[in-house]
Amino acid sequence: MIEEIRAKAADLLRSGEVKCFIGYERASDGLTARPFFAYSADEADRLIFDGTCVHNLARYLPDMRGKRVGILAKPCDSRSINVLIREGQVEREEVYIVGVVCDGVYRTTWGKPSRELQPRCLYCSKRTPVVYDYLVGQPPPAPESQHPASISEVEALERKPAAERWEFWRSHFARCIRCNACRQICPACYCPQCFSDQLDPLWTGIRIGLPQNWVWNVGRALHLAGRCIDCEECQRACPMGIPLAILNRKLASRVKELFGFEAGMDPRAPFPFATFEKEEEIL
Amino acid sequence: MKFLSNGNLRGWLESLMGMGSLIAPVDLEPGLTLFSQVRDPGEVNLEYEITPIPPKDLFFPSSEALFRFSPSRGYEIPRIEGETFLLGVHPCDALGIRLMDFPFLSPPADPRYEERRRRTTIIGLGCVKARPECFCTSFGIGPLDPSNADAFLVPVPGGFLVEAKTGKGARALASAKLKEASIPIPKPPEVSAIDVEAVRKVALSLFDSPYWGRLADRCLSCKVCAYVCPSCYCFDIRDYPTRDGAERVRSWDSCQSPLFTRQASGYDPRQTKASRLRNRFYHKFSYFPDEFGAFGCTGCGRCVRYCPVNIDIRETLSAILRGEARIA
Repeated sequence: MIEEIRAKAADLLRSGEVKCFIGYERASDGLTARPFFAYSADEADRLIFDGTCVHNLARYLPDMRGKRVGILAKPCDSRSINVLIREGQVEREEVYIVGVVCDGVYRTTWGKPSRELQPRCLYCSKRTPVVYDYLVGQPPPAPESQHPASISEVEALERKPAAERWEFWRSHFARCIRCNACRQICPACYCPQCFSDQLDPLWTGIRIGLPQNWVWNVGRALHLAGRCIDCEECQRACPMGIPLAILNRKLASRVKELFGFEAGMDPRAPFPFATFEKEEEIL
Repeated sequence: MKFLSNGNLRGWLESLMGMGSLIAPVDLEPGLTLFSQVRDPGEVNLEYEITPIPPKDLFFPSSEALFRFSPSRGYEIPRIEGETFLLGVHPCDALGIRLMDFPFLSPPADPRYEERRRRTTIIGLGCVKARPECFCTSFGIGPLDPSNADAFLVPVPGGFLVEAKTGKGARALASAKLKEASIPIPKPPEVSAIDVEAVRKVALSLFDSPYWGRLADRCLSCKVCAYVCPSCYCFDIRDYPTRDGAERVRSWDSCQSPLFTRQASGYDPRQTKASRLRNRFYHKFSYFPDEFGAFGCTGCGRCVRYCPVNIDIRETLSAILRGEARIA
């Protein structure tokens, strides 16, 4: 699999079809992976792909606007690419997508290997990317979902009384240091000016305190409703262990219930929050 | 050297809690330990690996009101009161506090930082294990180095070897039931060092190298590296409304944020990710030593560990030493 990815990336770079190929290389701990940007066929030899390749590389596409790039896309990354194309942030013709069939990625953290699948992979229904120009690996027979799991963390939290849920989020948000890692790593967070950076009106500003942290974390989640594809990168990037994916999953499940919509699956499907129908029911 | 047995630890911590507030590593979630106010000595975890946030926020809080003003109450400065015992500080973090002293205590000293520093006793803790990201020995310290702490504990079987380094430290230890130590100081774990002096000598000649652009490709421009850093001390000041007035609030900020250097005109002298990433590196290994005579890094490795995309400052140091940063 890795030889095929390297060869394909090298071809794309050698032929000048792309200026840069975004994939993964081994991280400095020798165990995990990190994003890698290959600019020449020689550099393509550094590419790797395995269960440690957790990052959602679609996040880098808006940075590359105007440049023709190649990108390695797992199914989750491919859904993000669809969201970016649909939202007008990425031109389909500017991106050459090398899709890769995915068996799920591991809960690796710095210096600590793991063979345990990430929770998001248990909820994921795709093993084959939803959009690609070239596919690496054999697509499995339908249905693709390997571990059909309910969103148990969300359900467990919902069964608790309101006061307990409030305390759950209060204690988590109180720890937030507003480092913006959740925002900066998110493929759907590309606003040139985030509401949290706005000075007039001052929604949160730079202050790190419970009211500001609360507005930030809830505001971030709401802005991702119907757009988050559950790559869980925000939660992985959070140095303070805030379980952001619970919020994202709850919102995604509501959007699915109400609109039958799943972000990034179909690049032509209208967006629930950017589409109005004359006769639509008021929720 | 004295010996404090595990059995006598609780009594000592209780007496510290009677003298002031005790701040120590406490497990808050699975895999998450933070320096926190101790309510029961049993919460204290002196076998902790690392806290994502170094104890810098005790002296330089992530956000604090410097003063408040309102028509009814006029102008008031929030008071800093009480005494604090900061327990369980690894040598890298104790060095971090020493490094924060340079900008905050150099005249004119920051009064709030100075007051908190004066009221705090730092009780250090030796490291029996090194983490894969550790490189503290590059900065003249080591896993069992007691400098920069008021008192120091070294974990040994059955308890701790204990030593007071300052009057404050002796006062904190006065209530501990100590015995004469019969156990020798253990051998410190191996930590590899990088020749940072050599890096400093050549660093400026690489300012315009394309290396920074390549490294910045994967940088997210988040602020994790700075906020988890024991020696990053940049802040922003802004007024926030209160019910009947306003307060002036100082909050952590970082040169990694695109807003950090944006000027009133809208111009930003550090517009690219690469220029911001480069700035953090040069501040630590060139500008800070030029100004204060010490490197602005403690080798704690937090930026390495917590960077979501593995920007590893040790790799940059090595790339400069090996001359790789010159080409790409």
